[in-house]
Amino acid sequence: MLEVHDVSFSYDNENMILDSVNLQIRRGEITVITGPTGSGKSTLALVLAGFIPRVIEGTFTGSLLIDDENVEKELISGIAHKVALVQQDPESQISTLLVSDEVAFGPENYSVVPFEIRKRVEVALNAVESSHLANRPTYALSGGEKQRVAIASMLAGKPDFLLLDEPSASLDPKGIQQLQKTLLGLKNSGYGILCIEHRLETILPIADRVLQLSKGKISKWSGKTSSARTTPVERFRLPDSAKPLLVAKGASYSYGTINAVRDVTLSVYPGEIVALMGDNGSGKSTLISLLAGLLHSTGGTTYIDCVPSTEMTAQDVAARVAVVFQNPNHQIFERTVQREQYLVFDVLDSLDEVPSERPEGVLLAAGLANLKERNPFSLSHGQKRRLNVSSVTVHEPLVYLFDEPFIGQDEIGRNFITQSIRKRGESGGAAILVTHDSAVATTLCNRIIFMERGSVLLDGSPKIVLDRLGEIGYGEYADFGAMS
Amino acid sequence: MLHRLNPSLKLAGLIIITTAILIYPSWRFSGLLLLLTIFGFKASNVPLDVSKRRIRFLMTFSALLFAFQVLMTVNGTILFFVIPKYDFMGPFLPVTDFGIEKGFEMSLRFLLVVFSSMLFVSVTDPTLLAHSLTRLRIPYRYSFALVIALRFLPLFDIENKTVRMAQRSRGISTSVRGMSKILRTIRYTFFPLLVSALSRVDALSLSMDGRGFGHSRTRTYLRKSSWTAIDSSVLVLLSMLLLASILLALGFLPQISAII
Repeated sequence: MLEVHDVSFSYDNENMILDSVNLQIRRGEITVITGPTGSGKSTLALVLAGFIPRVIEGTFTGSLLIDDENVEKELISGIAHKVALVQQDPESQISTLLVSDEVAFGPENYSVVPFEIRKRVEVALNAVESSHLANRPTYALSGGEKQRVAIASMLAGKPDFLLLDEPSASLDPKGIQQLQKTLLGLKNSGYGILCIEHRLETILPIADRVLQLSKGKISKWSGKTSSARTTPVERFRLPDSAKPLLVAKGASYSYGTINAVRDVTLSVYPGEIVALMGDNGSGKSTLISLLAGLLHSTGGTTYIDCVPSTEMTAQDVAARVAVVFQNPNHQIFERTVQREQYLVFDVLDSLDEVPSERPEGVLLAAGLANLKERNPFSLSHGQKRRLNVSSVTVHEPLVYLFDEPFIGQDEIGRNFITQSIRKRGESGGAAILVTHDSAVATTLCNRIIFMERGSVLLDGSPKIVLDRLGEIGYGEYADFGAMS
Repeated sequence: MLHRLNPSLKLAGLIIITTAILIYPSWRFSGLLLLLTIFGFKASNVPLDVSKRRIRFLMTFSALLFAFQVLMTVNGTILFFVIPKYDFMGPFLPVTDFGIEKGFEMSLRFLLVVFSSMLFVSVTDPTLLAHSLTRLRIPYRYSFALVIALRFLPLFDIENKTVRMAQRSRGISTSVRGMSKILRTIRYTFFPLLVSALSRVDALSLSMDGRGFGHSRTRTYLRKSSWTAIDSSVLVLLSMLLLASILLALGFLPQISAII
């Protein structure tokens, strides 16, 4: 059994992140901890894995016990032998270039003999059903594959307990099903598993018990999902005579020999809020970049507001289209939140014509009004994401293109982003958002475009598309929607 | 072909080549080594695609280096003037034989250093490099720093593209409009990349610590580098190259230095 006794922790000696927490994780059991962002879930995982207080500084009291033995004096490498932590972002945890090297990394550090390492690599990759990846370069894996490799590389160290921090964050429904299967398999072979999860519905079916962490305290989970869903929207589409805001005619794009988008034809009209769905690697992000005029179609054409995007300057596009990319750090450029918010007016040479209340109003709605002088890079992930949305929509461009905007967002963030998208639709604009969450698709959107291997597979109203998905073997998309 | 050589030998080769042309900075010598490098690309089936933007950028940059040297060097025998004498004006900007030689020297040396590094990265397996460096009694903590740097290169490449795309989507064009705009674009690229890199450092170090990195002074390796007779002979050749550059620089080989 892995347990913490009366653990309190503070990074700065002022704000208590954990406050007298007691928790036990048993072998052969899947424990899930949920709670709002900033509630200390990841911090608790760092305590359980021994990184606090050994590697990460702060004020720590309490004790960590493995099989009733206080491990206070153990080094981190000693604890790591028994407890393994898979962190949130699999990309940053991979330290070598080849999958089999990555899985071998742990045992190599513990000076296991090569013969035994080879066996362990095989077994670990097998456990996550990824034996076929052994000789692949790590940078060419998909998000789900990276995560399975990250889990395998921990299993190869033969720990007893496995802690996973938001394992489903960037997985598509198929990936989530696979993850559930993997975790169940591990549980049955005796691992004690702890999952920290925001999207509870993804892990609930396999959980043995669910706990809630809020304000530094652990309690039993109250049993209802935190995000109160709103009623489905009507299709506020304008008359058919309206001109399309975005058009793709036979749009295609390839990276080297891989065809990411093939021959996509579609139009998006004022009032439409489109959920762009599909498995990881089906070409959703590339299609967004094509529609935003950021990539030029290798065949076919894309039009923004009826003008071919190849004939538009970067400024023309920015005035009409707002794009939010996946990683918030890649799209913050200025030194203060305030300047970031005004950047687009500066670029478009329209600083004199800034509508007086708009920029401040949006910052207020985003909950960032009191952070105006802060360096945006010092904000939390959720705040950065809200700043991204706020700074690209401040000049009210016609179309919003958001790539997975809700990842890692708590209620405030979800509400702010939902509201901005909804308003844009109601006021004659349009929005496309990439999402794996069919609950979002049914409540916020009035159209789903579903992609498969670079092509549009289905396109229509959410209910019809989800029903059809169930019929053609993509049932997991409909299931996860129903669950939440 | 180069893939199979011992990784440490390849690293030594890279260092020896770049030192040799510093010791004996003749443009013919650089050119010769550059030809060898290009042959290395061909022999190991690494594409050196001139139509690729990066290669084109390097070629353009080396051409600029050449032009700059030629125009800035005034001593030597004047061959012609860029702006000829017209009436009572001029002539301006003399081009001299020494200037041309200097120009070739700079631009070829630049291309050699960049291309040989590119070749090294493409034909070297970082994990094997780490192992072979440990064999040379270099602590694995240091050799793994190299592995990680090489591991994150492809990622930074992708991230760089994303940041540029994010810039364009905000209307920030990369066109050259005055020094302040260029500086701004550099800042807009540099900071997002730096922050993104730093945010990965914590996760990476936890993940390595969490798998026992640094547990003991030695570690085992699943894949090991090997040293063959071919490696030994290449090492001899490389040493001869280094020796030759020193002898040439000291003027001990007047017959050869007259040619290269």
